Amino acid sequence: MEREPLLKRKTAISYKTEEKTVVRGYNLSDLAEEGYTFCDALFVLFQGRIPTEGEEKMLEYEMGEFLEHSMSPSAASAIATMGGRPQLPAAVAAGVMTFGGAHGPGAAHGYMLNKYLERARVEGKSAKEMGKILVDEYMDAGMPVMGLGQPQHVDGDPRAMPTHRKQEELGVDGVYLELQKAIEEAFNKRRQTEGKKTIAVNMIGAGNTALAELGFSPNAAWGIGILCRGFSCACHAIENMKKGHAWMASTREKMVQMLDLSMIVYDGIPDRPVPSQEEREEYAQRELEKGEYKKWVL
Amino acid sequence: MGTVKDREPFRWHSTIAYKTVPKIVTRGYDTTELVEKGYGFADVIFINYQARIPLIKEVKMLHYLMILCLEDGMSTAAGISRFAAKGHNILTQSAGASILAFGHAYGAYQAYGRMLDGYLERAEIEGKNYQEMAEILVRENHGSLTLGVSNLMLKDPAAKRIFARADSLDLSGKYTAFQKEIVKATQKTSKQPVDLDMLGAVGAAMLDLGFTPEATWSIVALARAFGATAHALEEEEREPRVVFGQNLQPKEYYDGPPDRPVPPLKDRDKFAKPAQTKTLEEWRKAFDERAKLRGSGWAIVEEIADPRKLVKVKGK
Repeated sequence: MEREPLLKRKTAISYKTEEKTVVRGYNLSDLAEEGYTFCDALFVLFQGRIPTEGEEKMLEYEMGEFLEHSMSPSAASAIATMGGRPQLPAAVAAGVMTFGGAHGPGAAHGYMLNKYLERARVEGKSAKEMGKILVDEYMDAGMPVMGLGQPQHVDGDPRAMPTHRKQEELGVDGVYLELQKAIEEAFNKRRQTEGKKTIAVNMIGAGNTALAELGFSPNAAWGIGILCRGFSCACHAIENMKKGHAWMASTREKMVQMLDLSMIVYDGIPDRPVPSQEEREEYAQRELEKGEYKKWVL
Repeated sequence: MGTVKDREPFRWHSTIAYKTVPKIVTRGYDTTELVEKGYGFADVIFINYQARIPLIKEVKMLHYLMILCLEDGMSTAAGISRFAAKGHNILTQSAGASILAFGHAYGAYQAYGRMLDGYLERAEIEGKNYQEMAEILVRENHGSLTLGVSNLMLKDPAAKRIFARADSLDLSGKYTAFQKEIVKATQKTSKQPVDLDMLGAVGAAMLDLGFTPEATWSIVALARAFGATAHALEEEEREPRVVFGQNLQPKEYYDGPPDRPVPPLKDRDKFAKPAQTKTLEEWRKAFDERAKLRGSGWAIVEEIADPRKLVKVKGK
């Protein structure tokens, strides 16, 4: 087999010879032989270092906790994609790629923490003070404070507070957790003064804080989170592949299917006749002039 | 069933997981309770895919295998992830793109696993032992990239160490045993030196851990995606971004039709050649002619009996 490099690039991540694959200086096979875990290897990959036992345990906890979340946008995407019966990786990738600005916006939260930590350092402020500044700045600007609230776990994400506590229990807490907790406190204090219900930390706020504390960059943390969830997406897609019906529209099922015709609600322009080619120019010109179409433009 | 009225309303049915306001449950276990009680990431993979708490040695083996899948140098998965990153997308696109690199050649774990399952089933039906069935498999799949045997790991001991680790943990089962016979059978017929490769070693070990071919495919692709994501980040950090229309393709790398003038639109009928053929001979001739134009897709000939099952498995 041809073994020429696919891309001629300098990389600080890894090299591969006929004898071994080396990541950040460590032979991968030796890492595995020595008994390191996959979580250890993620520290090596993204940070070039072997983690402490507590750090490894924290990552195990977080990834174990985050892996499954039943029906979220990512699982729904994976299932819907598998409905067309592509190859499995397409459904898994679809699940992973569903993560964005609303579903698990991990990197954004990390950037926010880094920015305000730097400000606290430069301005000589405590975490408590900077947490309040952050909350006030975001809320005054009408922006949502990242890491708080979850649309399904309306009484608080059951995974989040235990993640905070686990960080402390394992002794892997630091400036990130301190700032995050200050944000939560300031945020809810302000909501209470405004007569609003308190909102608990979510898994971005808790999980991403822990990952930052473990030394992962905002993007590395994001990558770990979304790929961890990818395993669940894969399971849901495989379940659909093996136990469900393709297309998800069969009328022979006991339950109305996701893509049953009855699931479609249309409230757009009422049915109308198609103009003939002879009428077309005049018709099109009239539509342009009336401009009503503009309210439907996407 | 017929009308909508007679049927249950749509629900997300799942045998995997559910969640309520206060908890998330996978295969019957509260996920927070799992991690609070010391179960880790790899444990939850077993629970999600196989609905069972794994033995500690099984967890060790899964970690071992996933570490080996984490990085593969500047391979297709890393390359596609880097290419996606060059457009300055968001990270999830690069991570997802790397998973799309997995097919029936690169990381062909579904095809490989189904092939093994098919032949193992045949061995049982036909009363053949692993050695005999491995010889049949190798004969029937001559030249296949999914035998788990190749010239890729002749100097790298990593693949063989996987089997040794499975043996030492007492986790080797029928798949590793069969794969060992496939290696021997291939070595007998191959003109070049070949040995167990990562597809065969990781694939057989994962199947012996109870993962299905599909589960194996997705777990390996996702483990690799972590490494590919690091490549995407490095691409952003070290390499310039690329805008649409930026890259040139020098003419010396072009071997399509030579430069030619665009015919005037009014003369279209004089130049345009219809694709329709009226006889099978004409059709065949046109087919072969079209196949000469690379990128037309006509040179790719496959057989998909049932498009819902996109993996062809000989021997089943």
